[in-house]
Amino acid sequence: MSSFTAKADTATFKERTDAALADRILKVAVERTAGTAETKRGIAVAAFPDFDAARDRAAAIKDHVVAHLGHYLEMFEANAVAAGAKVHWASTADEACKIVIDLCKAANAKSVARSKSMLGEEIGLPHALAEAGIGRVETDLAEHIIQLADERPSHIIWPAMHKTREQVSALFKAKHRSPHEEETIAAMAESARRQLRGEMLGADVGISGANFLIAYTGAICTVTNEGNAELSLVPPRVHIVTAGIEKIVPSMPHAVHMLRMLARSATGAALTQYTTFYTGPKRPGDRDGPEEMHIVLVDNGRTKMREEGLAEMLRCIRCGACMNHCVVFRQIGGHAYGGTYPGPMGSVLTPVFDGLPQSRDLAHACTLNGKCQEVCPVRIPLPTLLKGWREKSWREGLEPTSMRVGLGVWAWVASRPALYRFGTGIAVRAMRLLGRKGWIDRLPLAGGWTQYRDMPRPAAQTFMAQYNKERRK
Amino acid sequence: MSARDAILSRLKSTAPGPIEAEAAALLTAPERPAVDESALEAEFLARLALPSVNASHDVIAAMADLPAAIARYLEGQGEHLTLYLPPDPRLATCDWTGFTLHESAAPDEAATLAIARKGIAETGSLVFETSPQAPMLPNFLTLHHIVLLAVKDIAPYLEDAPLPGVQPRAHYWVTGVSGTTDIEGSYVRGAHGPRFLHVILLRD
Repeated sequence: MSSFTAKADTATFKERTDAALADRILKVAVERTAGTAETKRGIAVAAFPDFDAARDRAAAIKDHVVAHLGHYLEMFEANAVAAGAKVHWASTADEACKIVIDLCKAANAKSVARSKSMLGEEIGLPHALAEAGIGRVETDLAEHIIQLADERPSHIIWPAMHKTREQVSALFKAKHRSPHEEETIAAMAESARRQLRGEMLGADVGISGANFLIAYTGAICTVTNEGNAELSLVPPRVHIVTAGIEKIVPSMPHAVHMLRMLARSATGAALTQYTTFYTGPKRPGDRDGPEEMHIVLVDNGRTKMREEGLAEMLRCIRCGACMNHCVVFRQIGGHAYGGTYPGPMGSVLTPVFDGLPQSRDLAHACTLNGKCQEVCPVRIPLPTLLKGWREKSWREGLEPTSMRVGLGVWAWVASRPALYRFGTGIAVRAMRLLGRKGWIDRLPLAGGWTQYRDMPRPAAQTFMAQYNKERRK
Repeated sequence: MSARDAILSRLKSTAPGPIEAEAAALLTAPERPAVDESALEAEFLARLALPSVNASHDVIAAMADLPAAIARYLEGQGEHLTLYLPPDPRLATCDWTGFTLHESAAPDEAATLAIARKGIAETGSLVFETSPQAPMLPNFLTLHHIVLLAVKDIAPYLEDAPLPGVQPRAHYWVTGVSGTTDIEGSYVRGAHGPRFLHVILLRD
């Protein structure tokens, strides 16, 4: 296990980041997967006719849905109920977990098979199931790995991205009934297949999220490359879906457009291997399928986001492209962020779920280079939303005193141009004295900056001084 | 107030209607990969051969040729002629002499046959629905997923996949085999379900 994951839940953001930066194995693991994802997405997008126009359309579809969210949720509910599903509503994470646990208890469930769902992680479902004494089989390979390691997901598409093959091998050898002998990734996957097949087929309840909810038909859509959703959801007697209310699309053709964007942005594929639309439970004469289907529609802060300037974030289709392309994520991995969702989208969402006082550092841990917005398939203005959290943090007095005083002094000086130029002139000269061979390796009051990199030695005069000198010529 | 009422009371529409017309307008001329509609079979086969789909294929001229095509495939893979057949009356007309047929799929079923309602040229996807004649689980338990598809049922785009009207319990698209990239992004086939996908095209 990398050193920082063990203390991820208690350490501060800065401590987690320091540990992550010092963890060489983590850097290798993250780079192997995120690097591949970046390359594959680039190829897929280049081959797609007018991906930018497709992004405009995807954003417009989501904006339309978010504007008429109540209308579509009621339509979805009516159609899902007509197909025989039962629809439940939860305002909070706790309410959602209670509904799921009560359904599991009513089904006398000893074990549930779970198909990876970030909403399930968001509401704390694994923990709630454990507290209720209900066995949980994570069926996505990566979720299985982190369940065995007793860790949290570090990426929304590749939850075990932080693990190297060597670490996975050791884990399977310690925990699997008949582990692999050959040290190859294929042999490790085969070991997991042997382990999980029986556990999946023996589960009493199958639990999934939903990539899309289709309002016109009442269907829920899951996408996987492993086929684990279908193996988890078809055999058990009960299928429970937990889905965020923003997952709605009007019709199947709208879902098709979003699926084209999702697969390309996430993995660079044209489509996931298995894409399934479930509409209600088993029908008369069907030889398989659940007898009951329950859909839990979860708010957990989404209506508030819509009301309080974060409606654009409700476009998110959880593809992970923003984190794969984020220079910060690529350095620190997912766990350092501390929330359910890492990377740029996570830095916008975590303050909604955990509160800004606990998570204000995340908005600052962004270079604002805009890469996340460039690759987002639904054009979420992530840097703008992150700046919004910075401003809110300032307005609410959450920034540390040193920052407030420092910025206050700077603002006072900066609004007096003559004083500002005098001050910067002195600072430039002082910094030149500290510079050796063109670089400054230690700077008073900016030790954090120079701890990991050197600063270029400044020019002999400030820009304004040089500009005025040239103008006078 | 119930959670339902609490949520819906905060979600009144923030834009004027008519909602349905606006939703329909969002589907005008969607951006999608170009498909040559005069050569759907070739387009479909090209996508089927992509590394991401990685399916093999065979072509038969009549339903009566289906058992021989399956035998050819299974023997080529070094497998016994053991097969799960769905209870589809179209398959009852074939002569299955020489096969050991399973009426229900075992947890480690080696080979399963399924009939696709459509093939999609855009992605090389196979489209299925559940019904009393078409259970779903066998297609995910099996190691070799063998799919019969009539050439006339190949459609250009994913928008052509869904059935109109009342939906079946499950409508699903298969675009390859059960694969994973969860360990270091390295691709492995047969993560949980099928490791091989073989499509038999019926050119009737």
